[in-house]
Amino acid sequence: MDVLLHAKKYGVRSLLLQGLTFLSVLTSAFMIWKGLALFTNSESPVVVVLSGSMEPAYYRGDILFLHNGYTPIEVGEVVVYKVEGKEVPIVHRVMKVHTESETNKQYLLTKGDNNSADDRGLYNPGQLWIQRDDIIGRVKGFVPYAGMGTIWMNDYPQLKMGLLGTLCILSLFSND
Amino acid sequence: MYNLLQRLSGITSFAMSVLMALAVIISVITPLIPSSPTHQVTLHNIQTTTGRLMDPYDKTSKSAEYARLTFDVDADLSSMFNWNTKLLFAYITADYDSPKFDTNRVVIWDRIIRNKRQAKLRLRKHHNKYSFRNYALTFEGIERANLTLHINPVPYLGLMYDKSMLSIPIEIPRALEPTDKPGHKAKGKRKSGR
Repeated sequence: MDVLLHAKKYGVRSLLLQGLTFLSVLTSAFMIWKGLALFTNSESPVVVVLSGSMEPAYYRGDILFLHNGYTPIEVGEVVVYKVEGKEVPIVHRVMKVHTESETNKQYLLTKGDNNSADDRGLYNPGQLWIQRDDIIGRVKGFVPYAGMGTIWMNDYPQLKMGLLGTLCILSLFSND
Repeated sequence: MYNLLQRLSGITSFAMSVLMALAVIISVITPLIPSSPTHQVTLHNIQTTTGRLMDPYDKTSKSAEYARLTFDVDADLSSMFNWNTKLLFAYITADYDSPKFDTNRVVIWDRIIRNKRQAKLRLRKHHNKYSFRNYALTFEGIERANLTLHINPVPYLGLMYDKSMLSIPIEIPRALEPTDKPGHKAKGKRKSGR
């Protein structure tokens, strides 16, 4: 109804223009994200900490900025990795690095600061090391608690729906 | 012309940009704050034994050769605490060359230091917190290694950076017990399993 009214008042051209502006905002956001991913060589350059295994350094809801790069991983670096076949990325510290001379392959072992044991229990059964390719990025900077909103929205889907609903209603009623 | 919502969105967007600018400034400044930590690591003793630890996720742990270090740490890192330091992650690494591997670097001890009082380290005859073993299960072909103390300051907000300090050379003696054979066996077995 609202859309039709708008079209009657301002013409189809203005409506299309609005749609175009909306699309350009979406695409530029997407482009920035993908450009960052390309620049950092990391599939997701910004992540939110989901667990408390790195406390007291990182708490749930902290935002981490990642940079993967192409250089070998160093011991002591906090990295985000994904074990093959598992979806959840894990933020932990690298405790052991062995670099093979012939292939330059790196064998890495990680551990969470707040965990007493290393991560072999989190890897696939029988897997003792993770490799350079499993690493999504190394933590270069962080902002505390800035990602709490994402966690709330994930934990309480009603909140997400409510927020989206309010946004829709607001956009319908604010015509100018 | 301006209703409450527009004013609100104006204020929040201004606040967001100010906060972001502040965050960037803080991130740039923090690593430049000078500090003057003192530190010393001394090694007393190093022993190697074979297969004592049991790790439920690592079947090779029984046949591997382990090194047990005894060391002292004297360090005063309190000057590294500034207004943007949440904690210091201090860790000691052992790095060495082995026949098939260029770099091997293993964390043998770490500690999370949360305030200035904890930053005065005075450890006497400490052992390594984490098992120190080679990828190839034995220390064969490895004679010397370096112990290095690293400090990784974690800020309240901003960039992560690492400070490594002093390294002391150590020598790794081989386990003299007749344990060579099982070690080799396990090595072969493991390769086929990978």
